[in-house]
Amino acid sequence: MSRKVLMGLYDTPDAAADAVENLQGASVESIDYDILSGTPYPEGTFGEPPVKHKLYVFPLVGAAIGITLALFEGFGTQLAFPMVTGGKPILSVPPMIILCYELTLLGAILFTVMGIIFESRLPRIVRGLYDKRITEGLIGVVCTFDEGRDEEITKCLNDAGALEVKSEE
Amino acid sequence: MQDRKALTDKQINDTLTNSILRTPLHWYILTGFFAVIVLMGFVAVGILANRGLGMTGMNRPVYWGFFITNFVFWIGISHAGVMLSAILRLAQAEWRRPATRAAEVLTVFALGTAAMMPIVHLGRMWRFYWVFPYDWARGIWPDIRSPLVWDPHALSTYLIGSSLFIFVALIPDFAVLRDKTTGMAHQIYGALSMGFRGSVRQWRLQAIAGIILSALLLPVFVSVHSIVSWDFGMAMAIPAWHTTIFAPYFVIGAVHSGVAGVITVLILLRWLFRWDDFIRREHIDALGRLLFVVANAWLFFFALEFMFGLYHQEGTEVVVRDLWLFQTPWNVIFLLFIFTGYIIPVPMWLFRSVRRSFPLMLFTTILVNIGMWLERFLLIIPSMGRKHSFTFVWGDFAPSPIELMIVTATFALVFMLMLLFAKAFPLIPIFDIKEGNVLRDEIQIGRRTVQAVIREE
Amino acid sequence: MSTNHHHEPNIFQLEPVEVTRDVIARTRSRGSRYWGIVGVLAVLLVIGLIGLGMRLGSETTKLGYYAATFSFLFTTTQTAPLVSVAFRMTKNHWRRPIARASELFAVVGLFNLLIFIPLMIALPSTEGRWTIWIQAASWSPHVFDTMMLASLVVCGLGLLWSGAIPDFASLRDKGGSKIYSKLAMGWQGTVRQWKMQRVLLSFLGAFYFIGIIWTHYVISSDFSMSLVPGWVDSIYPTFHALSGLQAALATMLLTAYVLRRFGGYKEYIPMETFWAMSKIFLATSMLWFYFWWSAFITYWYGRQIGEQHVLQLINFGPYIYAFVIAFLFCFVFAVFMLIWNPIRKNPGALASIALMVLIGCFFDRVRLFVSSWSVSDLRDQHHLHYVPDTVLPEAPDIMIIVGLISGAILVYMLASRLIPVMSIWEMRELRLYQRSRMLVRKKVMVLGKPE
Repeated sequence: MSRKVLMGLYDTPDAAADAVENLQGASVESIDYDILSGTPYPEGTFGEPPVKHKLYVFPLVGAAIGITLALFEGFGTQLAFPMVTGGKPILSVPPMIILCYELTLLGAILFTVMGIIFESRLPRIVRGLYDKRITEGLIGVVCTFDEGRDEEITKCLNDAGALEVKSEE
Repeated sequence: MQDRKALTDKQINDTLTNSILRTPLHWYILTGFFAVIVLMGFVAVGILANRGLGMTGMNRPVYWGFFITNFVFWIGISHAGVMLSAILRLAQAEWRRPATRAAEVLTVFALGTAAMMPIVHLGRMWRFYWVFPYDWARGIWPDIRSPLVWDPHALSTYLIGSSLFIFVALIPDFAVLRDKTTGMAHQIYGALSMGFRGSVRQWRLQAIAGIILSALLLPVFVSVHSIVSWDFGMAMAIPAWHTTIFAPYFVIGAVHSGVAGVITVLILLRWLFRWDDFIRREHIDALGRLLFVVANAWLFFFALEFMFGLYHQEGTEVVVRDLWLFQTPWNVIFLLFIFTGYIIPVPMWLFRSVRRSFPLMLFTTILVNIGMWLERFLLIIPSMGRKHSFTFVWGDFAPSPIELMIVTATFALVFMLMLLFAKAFPLIPIFDIKEGNVLRDEIQIGRRTVQAVIREE
Repeated sequence: MSTNHHHEPNIFQLEPVEVTRDVIARTRSRGSRYWGIVGVLAVLLVIGLIGLGMRLGSETTKLGYYAATFSFLFTTTQTAPLVSVAFRMTKNHWRRPIARASELFAVVGLFNLLIFIPLMIALPSTEGRWTIWIQAASWSPHVFDTMMLASLVVCGLGLLWSGAIPDFASLRDKGGSKIYSKLAMGWQGTVRQWKMQRVLLSFLGAFYFIGIIWTHYVISSDFSMSLVPGWVDSIYPTFHALSGLQAALATMLLTAYVLRRFGGYKEYIPMETFWAMSKIFLATSMLWFYFWWSAFITYWYGRQIGEQHVLQLINFGPYIYAFVIAFLFCFVFAVFMLIWNPIRKNPGALASIALMVLIGCFFDRVRLFVSSWSVSDLRDQHHLHYVPDTVLPEAPDIMIIVGLISGAILVYMLASRLIPVMSIWEMRELRLYQRSRMLVRKKVMVLGKPE
């Protein structure tokens, strides 16, 4: 069965929350609707469930790679060019700590950014149903549903006071 | 008293993108002016590369002069970005919102400018890549035991981290620009926004991104200027350098000059782009109070550094302090530094009317940066000039026109880059301002209405 | 007052007059458990004073544990009021539930001042060694350090008193002892009186802040660093102050937990207070390492014999056991536990980490002060030529450590019998500025930000 998409546009957060409530009442799964806004609202403002993500894994992986590279560089350069400088041992731990510190953080930062982009489901080659007025303050409630539920979903969106209901066509 | 105006999202979009979509004439004049100075700076660098370091005032025993002073200065300016953006974001200070991106962008450009200085200072600039661990043929590897190798690691980490921080936070604003433009601009902003739609998931991850990246960048911010300070602190032979307090002393000095730099930039941007509704008196008042605390912390560290230099009453240490206080022209420079860096601006910031005055804050923050530049100068040059016990090898330093031109060009470069950035991207984070509107509230206590902020429970 | 077991009970479920009655009742009533603890602490204090008596008159190299204990108590108890002072300056509401508990530690300052005096007398003269009192009289540290500490104590008591005046008035009005009338000094709660109280708290807070930093500076320099020839460490006073701030936060986290769990103040001390303190606690734990590392790397790098010996003395030599405990407890374990949100959201976990940090802080003071006093007879030398052996604690030292720490806790507990440990007026003011409402479909907190 093919899937269709509709978006209701609202001028107030309360109206958008009403639309979400209507969709929840019509047994639409949380994975099938989304709220688009030009402003970040606190999580749960529209009655939506919390976002699940695994972003925290990325900095840990990045940090592990960073510290490995740092140790490799530290050990490698010192052993490859074993020259005593300033009376310090060939394998000097304190400078290696500094290198490890920097590269651990660099790795964590790089992987965090990759994680953010990945978990945000970006880049989106096909942006999907959208309206430019969302960045000007309107709030869009987008619903993906099975064919045959057009009227029901349209009613859910309109009953909440939608300024316009758009479809992908 | 808070002087906010209620603005719609559309008004916010229009005002904050006017620098991009409807650039004022004076932007072109200013950018052109700075570009000419930058060009002159590049010519000076070319002359230096061609003729060698003899064109500078550096000579035995003062081998580090204006370029290294400028390097430390710009690293200092770069510290404001993370200070304002990361620390205030983690502290949930609402007044940070208009200042964060300008501070972060200033960080990146200041860092880039600072990174150029040691390269110019090399003389044979084309050999700078030897600092990287790349070579398998010559058998020579960088000595990771040297702070001069820790430096590029720290600087690169900070530069990459800050740049990515700006980019991630710019994604929603790219979406605004995508929606407001057509043609090639629309394509470019569309590509940069990567299809951002403002879904719940995307906003949630933006919020978490801000927190995680702030938490990761903060340790980097502390480490960068600490490592720069260890370029000096590790040296045993130079008086006034080998002291344990250098790391936090440099960091707090960097925050002092950096935050002052951000205030200067914000006031100038407010005038240039008519952002009166966004950069308000309450913001510079709050920044001024922060600066007051930071300045006093800096003074404490300066006093400790000065005092402990005299603690063991070693000859060369006493000589350098004697130079600072009693010998011309160093005592004149010292007085200028202490007056401009602390004595004039800081007591002024005690007064609310000063903190809420744009001209006075512009004046005091420019003074601070004059003072902080001189502080770095006084830290580096006199110490090198008196590093030996034998007085017949003592020397002094006078900058050459080439050095003066290059240092002036660095200031022009940073201003020019800020203006160019403002032409392409919003310097005040649009979504951050909109979020501030959502989280703003009021409480009625008797007859009094108190401004309030919404927090998640 | 209703409680919902799904949500934490909070002060907003209490009427303002109930807050006043409740806190006063808790201040006045003390059960047998309280008096039992007081009795035990009193006995331990007496033992400690006996130990102190046994130690006084010994050679200075044996006074290290006494100096370390004093420094530990000064670091923890006299820096604790800073938690209230600093966050009042930044206008944070979360500090209100612990403000009074924090300021009450100023009373322990009196105890610290008393135990400081024999230590001050035992401090060697400045003849033949470098000190911060460059070209000043040899009695400078004795006189000026005592003056600074005494001024700090007076300022702290002033801060406590001025912050507690409205509550003394409440106790006076609720039929309390005559002493409250004297302490309240005719307080009526007029607009002018509230305004002047605010100004007084600001000034005293600023003085206390400056005072504690400078007192850390002189105590650490005179009673530790200047005793070791060749130890010139400009960051050391700041390290001492910063570890003081970390210890102060640990003290307040532990105190808040005890008050919440055993004092019955669960409605008053919400998770938000622990959450906010835990972030700063994490930051100070990271800064502990940063300040220690700044000193270490500067000394390590140059390979100068004198500096290497100092590093051996205070870190890797005879007091390595103390250094390792301090390093692990104050930095490694603290940071790697506090970075996890679930731990920072658990008051019990935070209290455990706080206790661990306090133990680490004590051992940190042992490695710094016992080591310094162990070389205190090496005058007329400009560098440390050899590293002396470990001075292990003997019976009098153990008695001093246990006794003086018990004494500090005893003084605090007795003070809490007189002065309410929860600030009634601050909690009532919090109810004015904090509300709960719905933002569309989400329950949010609204925090007033008065200018």
